[in-house]
Amino acid sequence: MKHIAIIIASLLFSILFYNKSIGLNLSMFSLITIVILVIYNSEKFKSKTLLLHAFAYALSAIFVFVNHSSLAIIANCAAFFTLVGTVSQSSTSIYVQWFNGIYTTVAGFFHRNFETNEAAQKVDWKKDVDYAHWAKLIGIPLIFSIVFILLYKNGNPIFNDLISKINFDFINIQWVLFTVLGYFLFSNILNPVVVEPATSKDLQTTNELQQTATFSVEKLKKEKQLGTTLLALLNVLLAFYIVTDLMSLSSIETSKASELSNHVHSGINTLIASIIIAIGIILYFFRGNLNFYAENRILKNIAFSWICLNVILIVLIAIKNHIYITSFGLTYKRIGVHIYIVLTLIGLITTFLKVLKIKNLAFLFRRNTQIAFVVLLLCSTINWDAIITTYNLKNADDYDIDYLINLSNRNAIILYELRDDIEISQHNKNRIETKYQNHILNLSQQKWQELSYETVTNAHVNNPKTH
Amino acid sequence: MNVPENLAKSSLLALVIFWTIISSVHFDQNVLLYVMLSFIPVCISVTIVILGTICPFYWSAKGNDVTNKQVFKLCFPYYTCIAFGLCSYGIVVSNYDLHFSAFCLSAFITTNQSWLWFAKEKTRIDDRI
Repeated sequence: MKHIAIIIASLLFSILFYNKSIGLNLSMFSLITIVILVIYNSEKFKSKTLLLHAFAYALSAIFVFVNHSSLAIIANCAAFFTLVGTVSQSSTSIYVQWFNGIYTTVAGFFHRNFETNEAAQKVDWKKDVDYAHWAKLIGIPLIFSIVFILLYKNGNPIFNDLISKINFDFINIQWVLFTVLGYFLFSNILNPVVVEPATSKDLQTTNELQQTATFSVEKLKKEKQLGTTLLALLNVLLAFYIVTDLMSLSSIETSKASELSNHVHSGINTLIASIIIAIGIILYFFRGNLNFYAENRILKNIAFSWICLNVILIVLIAIKNHIYITSFGLTYKRIGVHIYIVLTLIGLITTFLKVLKIKNLAFLFRRNTQIAFVVLLLCSTINWDAIITTYNLKNADDYDIDYLINLSNRNAIILYELRDDIEISQHNKNRIETKYQNHILNLSQQKWQELSYETVTNAHVNNPKTH
Repeated sequence: MNVPENLAKSSLLALVIFWTIISSVHFDQNVLLYVMLSFIPVCISVTIVILGTICPFYWSAKGNDVTNKQVFKLCFPYYTCIAFGLCSYGIVVSNYDLHFSAFCLSAFITTNQSWLWFAKEKTRIDDRI
């Protein structure tokens, strides 16, 4: 039964993806994957974590159809590997789940082949699969169906017409090889495997930091002194930098793009260096027994204040980036800066929690990777091209029309609709119209597997017959 | 470790996969001649890849009382994930060029199978266990 399911799934895989670009097919593939995984791992799907991951995967599949963006496709692939990894072992860290998911998908067949006891399998195989029975079960009904179809064809013109419309031209050796690839993929994910010893080691690792046997008050006292001096000095330095940054912020001239760009970029560079060093130093001092040293209060408070100062630094960069965006519009890089700021803020909060609740490095990695995955999924739900175009044309004081025209075709309709409301040259208007016409032509030539929400909603534009 | 046997089997496997993919797109009647001629470069590539990237793992384990199965279990997942990443990257960068894609696919499958063949060989440590 399992083999039949895999064969059906692999045939669907070929029908969906062979010689097609991404669209509705990836969403449908995701749903097929979920259904197959649920059927053959029904016991495991009672776990809430697994259900949550299946939901995230289904959601990412919907957004592939809705947004049709590269980011949505990347998020869908990440969610696919996470789900497969969660089926293989649901209690591990998300990065181990990714690893298990990728390993299962690309090499599950080889792994199972390695693990199978050959002698035992030969006996089981014969017992489990009765080839003659399966040949009869598939072959005899197929032969009789073909004979009767040929007979009925001559008896009824409508039936004859319908049968003649069935076209198997798409089947060729390449198509068959593609189906084999689909079979390989589905047979791999149906029986997820785990990477050892990475999985068992991850399961054994808790989030709590343990006091070690080498606890020495004398040593810890010296370490605390060093940490307090260093962090206090860095606190003063950062506070001074923030004051000067605040002063410079008030003197920024918003009319000069180069000046604003310089401010944001230098700020980001400072931020990257500062945050990495900050987290590194904090992790170094709070890596072990210093967490359990009774007189570590001052060091902890200084570390917390340094984290707070870094948060202020982040807010300042966010303000600068916001001024930049209001004056010169949104771009992917400027949005990227905002996302980076959010991730950095989360990184600082988790570092704060690590020190406060005496957690280990594994806790930090686990939480941060989980949050990064959620941020990726959330970002994939937004049609950034449309947001950038609408914001720049309607709200920004100044914008780069070349940048907007060179974005992907997902903003073609918005640009076309707003082309008369904005002051641009005739040359640029022509470019917008060409982009729009090309986009509409592409949409009208899409096969059903390549459909997206945009194609469905603009069906009246794509199909002139419906006017 | 029976390296020559592994190299021979792997070369044959790589050759079959490579030409199956190529022939699926454009079948040439003179293909048999090309297949025979291409056995030499395929053999050289397979030898370089297997001796350079797979055998060192098994050789380094020889002196440490580790079985081939343990080496496979420990190193193969990382190897295959990296190989998959590199092959996928190569295929995308080559703009899905048929010959390069066939080369990458055959390299990926052959190296994985070669790992498996080495892992299934019985070692002296296996006998002791």
